[in-house]
Amino acid sequence: MVPPGTVPAGSTLPMLSWACLPQYMNWLVWMPSVVMNISVCFLKRLKRSQLKVRFCTNESQKSRGDLVGMLRRLGFDISEGEVTAPAPAACLILKERGLRPHLLIHDGVRSEFDQIDTSNPNCVVIADAGEGFSYQNMNKAFQVLMELENPVLFSLGKGRYYKETSGLMLDVGPYTKALEYACGIEAEVVGKPSPEFFKSALWEMRVEAHQAIMIGDDIVGDVSGAQRCGMRALQVRTGKFRPSDEHHPEVKADGYVDNLAEAVDLLLQHADK
Amino acid sequence: MAACRALKAVLVDLSGTLHIEDTAVPGAQEALQRLRATSVMVRFVTNTTKESKKDLLERLKKLQFDISEDEIFTSLTAARNLVEQKQVRPMLLVDDRALPDFKGIQTSDPNAVVIGLAPDHFHYQILNQAFRLLLDGAPLIAIHKARYYKRQDGLALGPGPFVTALEHATDTKATVVGKPEKMFFLEALRSTGCKPEEAIMIGDDCRDDVGGAQNVGMLGILVKTGKYRAADEEKINPAPYLTCDSFPHAVDHILQHLL
Repeated sequence: MVPPGTVPAGSTLPMLSWACLPQYMNWLVWMPSVVMNISVCFLKRLKRSQLKVRFCTNESQKSRGDLVGMLRRLGFDISEGEVTAPAPAACLILKERGLRPHLLIHDGVRSEFDQIDTSNPNCVVIADAGEGFSYQNMNKAFQVLMELENPVLFSLGKGRYYKETSGLMLDVGPYTKALEYACGIEAEVVGKPSPEFFKSALWEMRVEAHQAIMIGDDIVGDVSGAQRCGMRALQVRTGKFRPSDEHHPEVKADGYVDNLAEAVDLLLQHADK
Repeated sequence: MAACRALKAVLVDLSGTLHIEDTAVPGAQEALQRLRATSVMVRFVTNTTKESKKDLLERLKKLQFDISEDEIFTSLTAARNLVEQKQVRPMLLVDDRALPDFKGIQTSDPNAVVIGLAPDHFHYQILNQAFRLLLDGAPLIAIHKARYYKRQDGLALGPGPFVTALEHATDTKATVVGKPEKMFFLEALRSTGCKPEEAIMIGDDCRDDVGGAQNVGMLGILVKTGKYRAADEEKINPAPYLTCDSFPHAVDHILQHLL
């Protein structure tokens, strides 16, 4: 591990206004699926500070309940109410607009849609369906869209890929692109990097974008999305991070850290000043 | 103007031009005989992702067409040629029926991806494998990029959406080998030794057959059979060199005006 407080060469210090606004300083944090134990105690430190913390995820294979359960088993002190996730956000939109979705989603997240009418669908919701991304299931979603006069497609996140122990896996983004190309339409993204999604997380914390910082492993979904919403963002060199991210042609994080522990340490150190 | 060209080769589309499913276009066999009685070379070109040359030949023979296997050039042939040129070992995401066209190609320890329409192979795990190869720098070769096609039970996804998915995931562009790509027509002409200016294409798809051929400098004749729909000839600019009722009429025109 990098010694606490070490700022990696080439990175800029995040949160210049930190010192004057400690009590309003807030965090949106997402941890990659593989988390070192060390992060657990750093998260505790973070939550003991005066900072508000919210977990902002594009997880769309699990319900919030299952996600929080898994994280708690890993030792993280997290509750369901602290999580902003795309499936509940999508349900709100569907209800608001009176839409009945055909769901191309993972069984693990289906319970989030329990209260949603899915008969006679007039839109499609696509999420990371994993093994559910068969030709037949993709074709079914395609046929529903082609039969609609005004096809509406919601994509829960639009990540291109993520990392599992067995290697990199295709995320929902490529499958969304496939349906967009087939039908000649553009999906509405619910989740990172959509600015609306970050705004809803900020609203849930009752803070302004400039008072918050995002920490994540995805240069586009986490870093660019948060920055476009007016927040600052740190990229952690874990999970889907690739060294080329630090030379991304369009996105530059406000700082790069080796892991969540270092991010927490860095920010708390500045908060103390 | 066109009559001044020395016509040496004729490319003919198959489905929709010579036959529609299992029925020959009336008079097409006899018209082909008349064309063969001249000095021009004839090649048969088609976009297919699942029919091997052998399958195509069998169907054409049943319909009494006088055609030999080495006169057929398909998008699968084009893919195979590219694989050989690049000297790569492809992961073949194609229908099992297309595999005979890749006989002899080494596919173990793959370092390239060839993608056609393969509903049986388009599963999450297999697409993940292809994705990882591409991330490692393997080239992506697409048979073609059609969005969808018509099946008996309605519209069905073509290979295009899956090609797009892999392109998007890896920030790369596939090399598309089928019609209307320029390379397709040039490759189809290669065995004739003719230049595009010395060749003409006859087909029922205004964009893919006629537009594609005219883009490389060939002439294009659109026939009003197969997938032709009224006013299709207005879809491309410049317009087709000629639009006529069917393949026999196209042959008549060639015999009377281009030779």
